[in-house]
Amino acid sequence: MARLLCFCLLLLTLASCQSEVRYTGADAVYHPGDDPRWAARQYDDSRWQPERGPTGTRVFWTRNWVTLRQRNPRTPLGMQVNAFGAFEVYWDGILIGQNGELATRERAEVPGTAASCYPVPDSLARPGRHLVALRSTQAYLTDDERGTYIHLDGYLRLLQGPLIVMSFMNLMAGAFLIAALYYLFLFLNSSRKEPAILVFSLICFLFFALLILEYVKFYIAIPYPQFYLRLEAIGWLTFAISLLVPLYFAIQFGLQRKRLLSGVLLAVLLGIYFLNFHHYDLTAMRFSYAMWLASVAVVVAAIIRKARGAGVVLAGLLASAVVNYFLYYDSGLFIGYTLLVLCMLYLHTIRVRAMETEHQAAQLLSSRLKLELLKKNIQPHFIKNTLTSMLDWVEESPKEGAVFIQALAQEFDILNDIAEATLIPVSQEIELCRHHLRVMQFRKEIRYELETSGIDPTDLIPPAIFHTVLENGITHSLPLADGCIRFRLSFEHTGRHKRYTLLTCARNRPEARTDQPSTGFHYIEARLRESFGSSWEFSSHAVPEGWLTSIKIGLVA
Amino acid sequence: MKILLVEDEARIARRLERMTRDFFGPRLQTLTSCDALPTALHALETAAPDLLLLDLNLNGQDGFDLLKSVAAGSFHTIIISAYTEKAITAFAHGVLDFVPKPFAEERLVQAFARLTTVPPKLENPLQFLAVKKQGRLILIDIKDLRYIKGAGIYTELHLQNGKKELHDKSLEKLAQLLPASFERIHKSYIVSIAQAEKIIVQEGSSYQLLLKNGELLPIGRSRYKELRSKMG
Repeated sequence: MARLLCFCLLLLTLASCQSEVRYTGADAVYHPGDDPRWAARQYDDSRWQPERGPTGTRVFWTRNWVTLRQRNPRTPLGMQVNAFGAFEVYWDGILIGQNGELATRERAEVPGTAASCYPVPDSLARPGRHLVALRSTQAYLTDDERGTYIHLDGYLRLLQGPLIVMSFMNLMAGAFLIAALYYLFLFLNSSRKEPAILVFSLICFLFFALLILEYVKFYIAIPYPQFYLRLEAIGWLTFAISLLVPLYFAIQFGLQRKRLLSGVLLAVLLGIYFLNFHHYDLTAMRFSYAMWLASVAVVVAAIIRKARGAGVVLAGLLASAVVNYFLYYDSGLFIGYTLLVLCMLYLHTIRVRAMETEHQAAQLLSSRLKLELLKKNIQPHFIKNTLTSMLDWVEESPKEGAVFIQALAQEFDILNDIAEATLIPVSQEIELCRHHLRVMQFRKEIRYELETSGIDPTDLIPPAIFHTVLENGITHSLPLADGCIRFRLSFEHTGRHKRYTLLTCARNRPEARTDQPSTGFHYIEARLRESFGSSWEFSSHAVPEGWLTSIKIGLVA
Repeated sequence: MKILLVEDEARIARRLERMTRDFFGPRLQTLTSCDALPTALHALETAAPDLLLLDLNLNGQDGFDLLKSVAAGSFHTIIISAYTEKAITAFAHGVLDFVPKPFAEERLVQAFARLTTVPPKLENPLQFLAVKKQGRLILIDIKDLRYIKGAGIYTELHLQNGKKELHDKSLEKLAQLLPASFERIHKSYIVSIAQAEKIIVQEGSSYQLLLKNGELLPIGRSRYKELRSKMG
């Protein structure tokens, strides 16, 4: 880490070194036609024009005076020419280089690149006034009369400068690429498929592409006819990023009306694009401003709603604005973007933390419910009363006592089977209920009957929920005139819901159920929440026939 | 003997009823059985029994209130419960016995025997006496007692702070519940040994007990010897 830091500092110092070469330039002057004498210093160009005028595929000359004031004689002088076309470069009348090949009658032009570098021989690079003359053709993009710019510096610096900048930018691009892949895999392998993760992955990938495209010019010679292709692509990448970043914040902060936001932003961005058509850098900059403003709006809305992490993100946005204000456009923009991504990562960690907590809570609930299920049948009230009754049966009529013991053993068997489950087939639950009723019949000496209708035996429900309803029914009900308490369990399946109703046909004990339902209902509700989230309804109330409990479960969309 | 039985499990209620009838035989005047609390409380208010057999679910606050309420009654209470760990609480509040479920006949008979014989002092002694006062129940720590005086079917609890409370239980019943630190000194008095100063012998060989606050209480002729041995 420390080494990396040193390396970065070294690169930064190199990058910010004062230039060794001091010079002043003059504006270029143009003349159509072709004459080898025009390369010479002595030629009088006072009547040449500062505008090139239409030249078509024909040859034209450019003369450009520079005054070299000072340079380090130990390193070679270099010259960078920014111009469209194919051209030969003359320094004080001597050919020092060539960019592409000029069009002739027989041959089409081989286009050069927009920026090219040339070493200047030491013998020619003495301080004083020098003439840079270009013999050019511009067979493509003939309408684009782009100016000619000459820049002098140490030759090595001219070559190394872009490499140093690129080393930083590639570092960032690599980080973005890794993040993009990581979050893409996270999205693909996650069961929750959160859109925010996909959007984040996409944003990271777009940043990566933007960085690569921005600096690709330093290591791939792009012929000048394709010069605008790259700028166009950069513009669209910026466009997509500007649309996605505020959307990401809106998703992460759970903002309402995300579609409206996206729509308005899209309209604004398209507006910017068409208003600034072919002003590539300006367009990209205005896209970024629109993105920044939209993001700030989203984050401020989130702060008003007291969303977690909104404050930090706002600070990050303000910091990116400050960086952008003080730094040169390109790098400022990218550092600003990096800050944005850091904000997003921070938000994402908050989200992950929240999900972890949620998961832990769910696990805790599950184990608590498991325990509660186990406790149901070892709590003293159940077991001691059952044993006392059993003792009496065994003493009074051993045969019946044996049947009683069997019934209890079967109830325990099922409870043992379902103790670990969060969902069991309803047929198993019904079996559990039947055994429980037999046990209770021996204890209470009341006839209990369970009737079912419309049951789908394979349907899954949380364990012991009807069992709990039966327990309540047994505790709080008095038998009807025929000495019987009947339970009617029915099931219906409608389009988007399934519903269980359990009717207890009995007289309700007058003293019971005055205020809140029994604690057993909390168990049922917790079990339903555990398995079905919030898509269920539970109700339990007195009806003329006795007591009606109904559970409605929404089918997962 | 009038007995009230409160048990909501039919089979267990029948078992208790059968064993109770077997034990008391012709001595049993009435045996009423209730399967829910409201009816049981109603029965207690209308005609107080001599003995209450109560299935107490002591896990709720209601159970504790009910315990205090029955402990303040004039009758003895035997708790029959699944919650064995609550036995100490039950004894502390003055139940005659606590029969844990499941129970055999011998254990219930042992509990009934406490009604008639002077029981060996309990491991978990009485700590509080519940008293009904202006419709509320208050608990009196027996450490605050100076002595108890029989007053017909009631008793007067004389406290160390000079106050006096009425208890519904007879002196005989309280004598069965109180720990060994209390001594019956007279047919109408039970005294806390810690509060006794000395025995004063009057002319005509009648005895009186001088308490630490200067009060004099009569000592029954037949009880003198035992008291003297206890006071050392």
